[in-house]
Amino acid sequence: MPELNKLNKDYGDRAAFYVVYIQEAHPIDGWQMEVNIKDKVLVASTRTPAERMDVAGSCVKNLGIEFPALVDDPDDKVERAYTGWPDRLYVIDRDGRIAYKSDAGPFGFEPSEVEAALKRILPAVAPAETKKS
Amino acid sequence: MKWLIRTAVALVIVYLAMCGGVAWIMVQPPEQFGRIIRHLPMPIVWGVLPGTRLWLWARKGTLTEGETAPDFTLARHDRTGNVTLSSFRGQRPVVLVFGSYT
Repeated sequence: MPELNKLNKDYGDRAAFYVVYIQEAHPIDGWQMEVNIKDKVLVASTRTPAERMDVAGSCVKNLGIEFPALVDDPDDKVERAYTGWPDRLYVIDRDGRIAYKSDAGPFGFEPSEVEAALKRILPAVAPAETKKS
Repeated sequence: MKWLIRTAVALVIVYLAMCGGVAWIMVQPPEQFGRIIRHLPMPIVWGVLPGTRLWLWARKGTLTEGETAPDFTLARHDRTGNVTLSSFRGQRPVVLVFGSYT
C-alpha cells in the first residue's frame, strides 16, 4: 500500500485513485492465512452491502490508505467483470479505455507498472516537479 | 530398463493430471476455490507444480488493454455517495486497485 499512497500523492491531482473493495481473499470461513491470524486481521466473508462497507472502512483506516474505496456489491458484479479477485490493478485512460491491466494478484500486483502507464497517458510532467524557467 | 520407462511415463501422467486438477480448482469462483485449495499442501501446489503459472492463466480474465472498461456505479466506503466510472471520461484517468483486507 505505501507504493500506491505515494503514487496517489504524486499523480492524484491528475488521476483519480480508488480501491475497489471486493470479496475477501482469505476470510476466516474460507482459505484463512497464518499471517492474517498473526496480524489479527480476522474477517468473515461479507454477505451484505453494509457488512462489506464496514470492513472496507476498517481496511482503509487500518492500512492507512489515502484514497477512497468503492465497495463492490455482495453479488460481486464488478469483481467478475474485471476478474479483480484476489487483487489486481487497472489504469483507465481519459477515453474510458483500459490503458493497463495487471496480471492476477498477488503475483501480478506491481504498482510500478501503474506509474509507467500513468506516465504514458498523462502529459509529460514529472511527478512533483515544476518546470524550470 | 522397461520398468524405468514405465515409471517415468506414470510420473508424467500423474504430474499432468495434478496440473489439470489444480487448474480446474483455480478457474472456480473465488469462494469455491478457497474452500478446495485450503485442503491441499501448499508446497506441492506452488512448488512442485507450476502453481503461479497456472494461477496467472486461470485468472487471466476477459478484459484486454485498449478495450473500453466496463462501467459501474459503486458506493464509497465512507457512505458519502456513489462513484460512476464513466463520469471521469474526458476528464481524468482512473487507477483502480482491486483488493480486500485479507
